[in-house]
Amino acid sequence: MINDKNSQKIVDIIQNWARKHSIWVLAYGTGCGAIEIPPTMTSRYDAERLGVRGAATPRQADVLLITGYLTTKTLKRVIRVYEQMQDPKYVIGFGSCTINGGMYYDSYNTIKVLDKYLPVDVYINGCMPRPEAVLAGFGKLQQLIAEGKANGAAEYKANLEKYRENQKRVIPNWIMPEYNW
Amino acid sequence: MNDIKAKLTEHIKANFPGAAEKDFKGENRIDFSIDKEFIPSVLTYLKNTAGFIHLSHITCVDWLEEGEFEMIFIIWSPTDKLKVFIRTRIDREKAVMPNIDMIWRQANTYEREFREMFGIQFIGLKGAKDFLLEDWEGPPPMRRDFDTAAYAKDAFFERPGREDALDVREEIIKRSREEIPGFAKKYSR
Repeated sequence: MINDKNSQKIVDIIQNWARKHSIWVLAYGTGCGAIEIPPTMTSRYDAERLGVRGAATPRQADVLLITGYLTTKTLKRVIRVYEQMQDPKYVIGFGSCTINGGMYYDSYNTIKVLDKYLPVDVYINGCMPRPEAVLAGFGKLQQLIAEGKANGAAEYKANLEKYRENQKRVIPNWIMPEYNW
Repeated sequence: MNDIKAKLTEHIKANFPGAAEKDFKGENRIDFSIDKEFIPSVLTYLKNTAGFIHLSHITCVDWLEEGEFEMIFIIWSPTDKLKVFIRTRIDREKAVMPNIDMIWRQANTYEREFREMFGIQFIGLKGAKDFLLEDWEGPPPMRRDFDTAAYAKDAFFERPGREDALDVREEIIKRSREEIPGFAKKYSR
């Protein structure tokens, strides 16, 4: 009875509904985009009414916001943070730098396409995205979670070799711990 | 003000061979070029006896066409309200500079950055090898002959769709039928 397909469906719906309304964002800013987070969180736009709030440590967080350009040095830390996060976990790429390099397209030290290194669920376009755009991005993520389509973490586990290969291409001195989930 | 400037100029010229004053018509600023061997001694003299206790800035200019780096030290005297620029030229291929972090401790940070970004060696400089970059294996990135676009193309993935990017200036000109002014032409692709 418990392993019945339809009862699992109901459990999934309830689970996704609960997850959708408690998106805890890791308080970790890369690049210049982190400056748009305080107005999103505070009283003017008040993201907390949607269940979006800050979390102090990677193990408590659900969403990793990549706010802006990502240097290879920061990428190392971001990968480590992402792998410490517990399921369910989602990544939001924030700003045009994470999409195609943005104004840092010819920089010697910043990556250009984030989804080659980490699985990205939602991209928010703009340089910088205004708090309205950030809220729209969170809305899109909530929609994907409710539909059960935000499967970045599962994809990461399935294609770990491919992601590792790309990551090691920009991080030659690989001294990271291997997590087994 | 002019008294202090004239006195200082005279003193530096008398005591440091090869010190050439650069003509700069500005208030509260004097400008010298000098051989790199005399940099620590002239800075020590200015700090200890002339009251220039504040190191404002150290900067490096890459004169690629002349094969030289120009190092500029900017120091400031709070009592006289006077700024001194000390310039020196060093060879680009064998870029070696005397170390000055025993005069101002904060110079150490600047020197580590120059070592990483320009590949300038400072004699006896202490501190970790990496400053801002991590595991960097390419040439020093702030040198002008380092092609950052080619390096980025080789090292990182590129999202398709930017190859047919049009020159904004030329497209606007095509639409509005204006002439590109001469000074702007060299920036067009």
